Amino acid sequence: MMDSFHPLREHDLMMTRRQLFGRAALGLGTAAMANVLSPSMLAQGGARLGAEGTHHKAKAKRVIYLFMSGGPSHLDLWDYKPKMQDMFNEQLPDHVRSGQRVTGMTANQKNGLPLAPSKYKFTLHDNNDRGLWVSELLPHTATVAKELCVVHSTYTEAINHDPAITFIQTGSQVPGRPSLGAWLSYGLGKMNENLPSYVVMHARTNFAEQSLFARLWGTGFMPSDHQGILLRSEGDPVLYLNNPAGVSGKDRRKQLDALAALNQQHYQQFSDPEVLSRIRQHEMAYKMQTSVPELMDLSDESEDTFELYGEEAKQPGTFAACCLNARRLAERGVRNIQIFHRGWDAHGNLPKEHESQCKDIDQGSAALIKDLKRRGMLDDTLVVWGGEFGRTAYCQGGLTRQNYGRDHHPRCFSIWMAGGGVKPGITYGRTDDYGYNITDADGNTLDPQPTPGKFTPGTMHIHDLNATILHLLGIDHKRLTYRYQGRDFRLTDVHGHVVHDIVA
Amino acid sequence: MVCGVAVTMSSAMLNAEPIDFSRQILPILSENCFVCHGPDTRNEKDLRLDSREAATRDLGGYHALDPDHPEQSEILTRLRDKDDPMPPKDAEKQLTEAQKQLLEQWVKEGGAYDLHWAFKKPVKNQAWVDAQKVDYPNPIDAFIAAGMREKEADFAPEADKSVLARRAALTLTGLPPELSDLSLHMADATEEASGKWIDQLLKDPKYGEHQARYWLDAIRYGDTHGLHLDNRRGIYPFRDWVVRAFNDNMAFDQFITWQLAGDLLPDPTLEQQLATGFVRMNPTTSEGGVIPAEFQAKNNFDRVETFGTVFLGMTMVCARCHTHKYDPITQKEYYELLAFFNSTSENPLDGNAYLYGPTLNVPENQPAWHEWLELSTRQDALLKGVDADTVTNSLGSLEKFGDWEAEEWKRSKSVSVDAVVPDDSAFEELKAEHKGYKKDRLGFVNEAVWVKFRLRSPVAQTLWLTFSGGTDSAVFLDGNPIASPTRQLPDQRFVSLPLVVNQGEQEVIVKMSGTEVQVAQEVRIETPWKSWSGKKDWAACGAADQLRMLADSKGPLAGMKGRMEAFELARRLAMAEANFTTTLVAKDLKEPRETRLLNRGEYDQPTGDPLTPNVLSVMGTLPASAPKNRLGLAQWLTSRDHPVVARVLINQLWQRVFGVGLVRTPEDFGLQGQQPTHPELLDWLAVEFQDSGWDLQHMIRLMMTSRTYRQDSSWRPDVSDPENRLFARGPSYRLDAEVIRDTGLWAADILDPHMGGEGVKPYQPSGMWMAMAHPASNTKLYERDRSHRAYRRSLYVYWKRTSPHPMMTLFDAPSREVSCVRRSRTNTSLQSLGLLNETQRTEMARMLAGRLITERFSDQERLDYLFGLLASRPANQAEHKACLDLLSNMRERYANDEESARSLISVGDLPSEYDLPAVEHAAWTQVATIVLASDSAIMLY
Repeated sequence: MMDSFHPLREHDLMMTRRQLFGRAALGLGTAAMANVLSPSMLAQGGARLGAEGTHHKAKAKRVIYLFMSGGPSHLDLWDYKPKMQDMFNEQLPDHVRSGQRVTGMTANQKNGLPLAPSKYKFTLHDNNDRGLWVSELLPHTATVAKELCVVHSTYTEAINHDPAITFIQTGSQVPGRPSLGAWLSYGLGKMNENLPSYVVMHARTNFAEQSLFARLWGTGFMPSDHQGILLRSEGDPVLYLNNPAGVSGKDRRKQLDALAALNQQHYQQFSDPEVLSRIRQHEMAYKMQTSVPELMDLSDESEDTFELYGEEAKQPGTFAACCLNARRLAERGVRNIQIFHRGWDAHGNLPKEHESQCKDIDQGSAALIKDLKRRGMLDDTLVVWGGEFGRTAYCQGGLTRQNYGRDHHPRCFSIWMAGGGVKPGITYGRTDDYGYNITDADGNTLDPQPTPGKFTPGTMHIHDLNATILHLLGIDHKRLTYRYQGRDFRLTDVHGHVVHDIVA
Repeated sequence: MVCGVAVTMSSAMLNAEPIDFSRQILPILSENCFVCHGPDTRNEKDLRLDSREAATRDLGGYHALDPDHPEQSEILTRLRDKDDPMPPKDAEKQLTEAQKQLLEQWVKEGGAYDLHWAFKKPVKNQAWVDAQKVDYPNPIDAFIAAGMREKEADFAPEADKSVLARRAALTLTGLPPELSDLSLHMADATEEASGKWIDQLLKDPKYGEHQARYWLDAIRYGDTHGLHLDNRRGIYPFRDWVVRAFNDNMAFDQFITWQLAGDLLPDPTLEQQLATGFVRMNPTTSEGGVIPAEFQAKNNFDRVETFGTVFLGMTMVCARCHTHKYDPITQKEYYELLAFFNSTSENPLDGNAYLYGPTLNVPENQPAWHEWLELSTRQDALLKGVDADTVTNSLGSLEKFGDWEAEEWKRSKSVSVDAVVPDDSAFEELKAEHKGYKKDRLGFVNEAVWVKFRLRSPVAQTLWLTFSGGTDSAVFLDGNPIASPTRQLPDQRFVSLPLVVNQGEQEVIVKMSGTEVQVAQEVRIETPWKSWSGKKDWAACGAADQLRMLADSKGPLAGMKGRMEAFELARRLAMAEANFTTTLVAKDLKEPRETRLLNRGEYDQPTGDPLTPNVLSVMGTLPASAPKNRLGLAQWLTSRDHPVVARVLINQLWQRVFGVGLVRTPEDFGLQGQQPTHPELLDWLAVEFQDSGWDLQHMIRLMMTSRTYRQDSSWRPDVSDPENRLFARGPSYRLDAEVIRDTGLWAADILDPHMGGEGVKPYQPSGMWMAMAHPASNTKLYERDRSHRAYRRSLYVYWKRTSPHPMMTLFDAPSREVSCVRRSRTNTSLQSLGLLNETQRTEMARMLAGRLITERFSDQERLDYLFGLLASRPANQAEHKACLDLLSNMRERYANDEESARSLISVGDLPSEYDLPAVEHAAWTQVATIVLASDSAIMLY
């Protein structure tokens, strides 16, 4: 791995510098630090760290986040509720909902809130715990049950898409904050200078039902170089990667040599270190023009690979292809990879939509786990799978045994994590017989609220999820801060608890 | 060697001077203590350290700060307590030894408190400035020199004249200087030359475009709603108004007032109402299932927090849920401030609608505004001269005027715009009323639709015909062209003209040619006479109808003086108003909406009594005469007593001119923000700004004629000050995304100078919107402009807030979802790819290359021209060598591969205007590409 300039260190230095410059004096001897700490020097790689640049020893070196944009139905995929089978079309008992907010889409339904048991068959798969129930919609993922840590008790506070997806990705329901990926880029830095440090992919779907926003991989008030870089399946894989028509790689080399000569001239006159830094960035761009096509060229993958990921992986833009790209990126030192798969929003026709959605993602997700495992990379690669909320036990719209829809459900939903220091083959958290409320092991309803200093075991607020992700990557979510408008902002706001029960 | 760090080294460290509480102690308390002992302490018994009164309270025989025996203060003990120290051992933030010593010194000196610097009214030390006048005629230099003197530094030498000319042009207009202007300026050896140069730039309409952009960042201007569907929103007339306001050098207090409360001014003008688009700029949603009350609250949170950032330099967000941890803002005050905004009448949900009312009809773009303002003035003058009695006598009990029937409407298919009147077989029947019809969409630029109908009138009279149609639309009356071809401005989509009809029956044929911007297909017939026959009251007829009645050559007023002018004005005004567009504005409800404090900021937890709108007490009070609405809020902001506003705004201006602010955290003037590098200068400027009548250009002139601004910007070996906190060198930074793009278009001579109008869509990699957009969104398809619109200044690039143009975000433009008063300036490899490979940049390079080859005759001259355009100076020797080497290399390379050469010079839509040898053109394109990307071109220095 490349020894490189490290943002955590950069951050510390920035803070020190800020104090040096912005406040009353701190002591003597600091003056000499000024040169060392100039941003230009940093940008030139002046500050270098050893291998451990983290708050504590990291379990995972990188993260691959498979984001199911919308709300995958925990009730049809992960959270097995056999008792609901006998309650078809019965109203959700009032004591279950106990006055909780319902979206405007189902609040005034004529048929009330009729229970819709899942039409899918669930099977118990061996894991390292009490077994894992998986529905027939995810046959491939079920085969890696022993690697998964499935959390049934994830919860959020937002009930509509835009606020909810913004919340889980940025820690705030309204725009303006850095994304999880930006925080990771800021905290983890870069291992491969020839590839972006934070890569985002959009996987194809048949149900592009909800929108994505640049803010989900954006930097908010942080410098924009921490933003996610789209790896695209259409046009240039990285924006503006390819030379214009009529310009060869050789031409570019000559252009860059001339450009460097011009910029050197500029530097000689103005001595602005930023100019030197830019010369270096032009060179990195040149290398990226080789390393990205090499990354995207799957010809060095064996047939074995495509057996694992499926033939779809050969078609750019499919979820399977994105997963394969993710593995290739991970191999090349990219630490922060996110795949967005849209269409998990089955207000009606859930079976049709979820069958298609699951088919999109099932084999690729499982293949990624297996592939990382056989390459010895799963141990230090954290894989996260999940959406922004779950779906309701009650039906939205017309209800039959075979067809139904489900509204948004923030109070509990299932996600899974694998590898990267997470306990393999366990489940965490429980929900009631309707997959409506989080309960303890005895079935008592828990009503967790995100509270600083108080954690309810068995639950995982999305701040807890993010705190745990950071923790596994060696970062203390309380100490990874960025000052803006006088406040040291955190991804987890003033909340978040590392869920140690799932950490290996 | 002098060290910049030492600027803030406290002399108190050496015990030479007493402690300055606001500058030295308050930041330590705020950073380390207020989190537990600050304004938001929950329990009344808890110790607070944010005021002397609280800190000296008797805690049961002892005091944190002992007023009588300072040396017995508990603070002194706890600071050094091994077992139970403060801050506690496990606190995230620990004090340094130096901080402890400062606190100790402060306590021992008696523990005096003082207001945070920003909350004290700025004072102008004019006597001191006057005393320095001999050495420093420009007061700015006096302050900067004083700071440097402390560090034994002096000003850097003045930069070269050409460098300064370029710097000034970029600072003011966001473009390099025109070479013709530059050479005149270089030849002007008089003392006034530099002042004249600045004045000339201030008069350039590009000035307003460039300055407006910073404001649009601050107030988060966007062309879409910003949330969920992120649909289109019609508010660009606001953007164009900001440009005009800067170009007119509108007094800034007025600029603020119109935006906050133009609608509440007496008898507001169109522009005053339009300016309230500011209030409507918050992102909005209409996502299925959202609750209106929730977004009523969220929209207002956003408004009050943006207001805080832009005008107060205050972070308000903390106080939404609890009393501010650091700054003296209570939660109640937050909601009192919010109450000013809580009574606007728009629906909290936007309905995903372009016309998210209330809206206002206004001219469409800058030329249209200028024309309309001029015509309105003339109309007012003309109508003033009309005697109502005379008119009333002439009109009498007029009957038949204003009657007509239009029947047998027929319409042709869309045909080529060049075709002559189609024969009858091309027409189909069309359902329309006698007043006209509206349906479908008009075709594209090269198409036309023909419509005909029979019109019967009981008298000869002038009717008014309005229809959608672009350039080369035409009207025929009984076969005779009455207006053909119509010449219009590029963005006009409607034609409106007087139709002088005869008594009896006639055939009207309308040729409606397509427009660049798609509009509905519409024909409308109107008459001014109805307004008279209804009321028989001239004064009640309305200016537009009055004018048209005066203008009617067939009407009863035809003999009156001024008819010809009335006709001209009526014709032009009708044309102007037919092309009006809509813009979002603020209006208040008749009855104010009740505002209550929201517990923890939750929309469904209002608590306590209804609140009256009020301002932050730490910044004074609402002026006694001020109404308790947005207008009163504006009066408070612009009052001479306001401690912060002028400072915050002048700091934003300083940042625009010098690249960095006097306060490096322009978004935060609170306790946690950075202190100004030159507090006395900031105060002097703030008061000068107010004294000048909020004259922005006066302040800019002051800054830009200062020796401080005019310094060479080379980093100095004798002054170590990487952040330039001493301002001991001129500004130097990478230019903003917009400036980089505009400069290239300008150098290539393809910049479209047209100002204003709907956002433009230049090249963008395909599928970027589609990959993210909701299927129901009307911004999922990026249909790029294939006309001159694609070459307009970047200010006008369509701003989709959930996915702004990638060349903008690549170079640090904010998303405009939230306020941004300071852009980051990153330096990344992806920027390199954008600079060298993006389609429009390649197109610029080849157009620029064509310009070089055709306008200059030797390689040497061409290079000097190229550098002249981009760096305002000829190329130096090393640059010549680097470029000529590349050039000869590329000539050779393309001579062997003409096909590649032709590919390169064909990138982009623009046809090459030059019939040039492909090899030579391609080789120069390569050279132009790198010079366009070089730091001499993309940096200000």
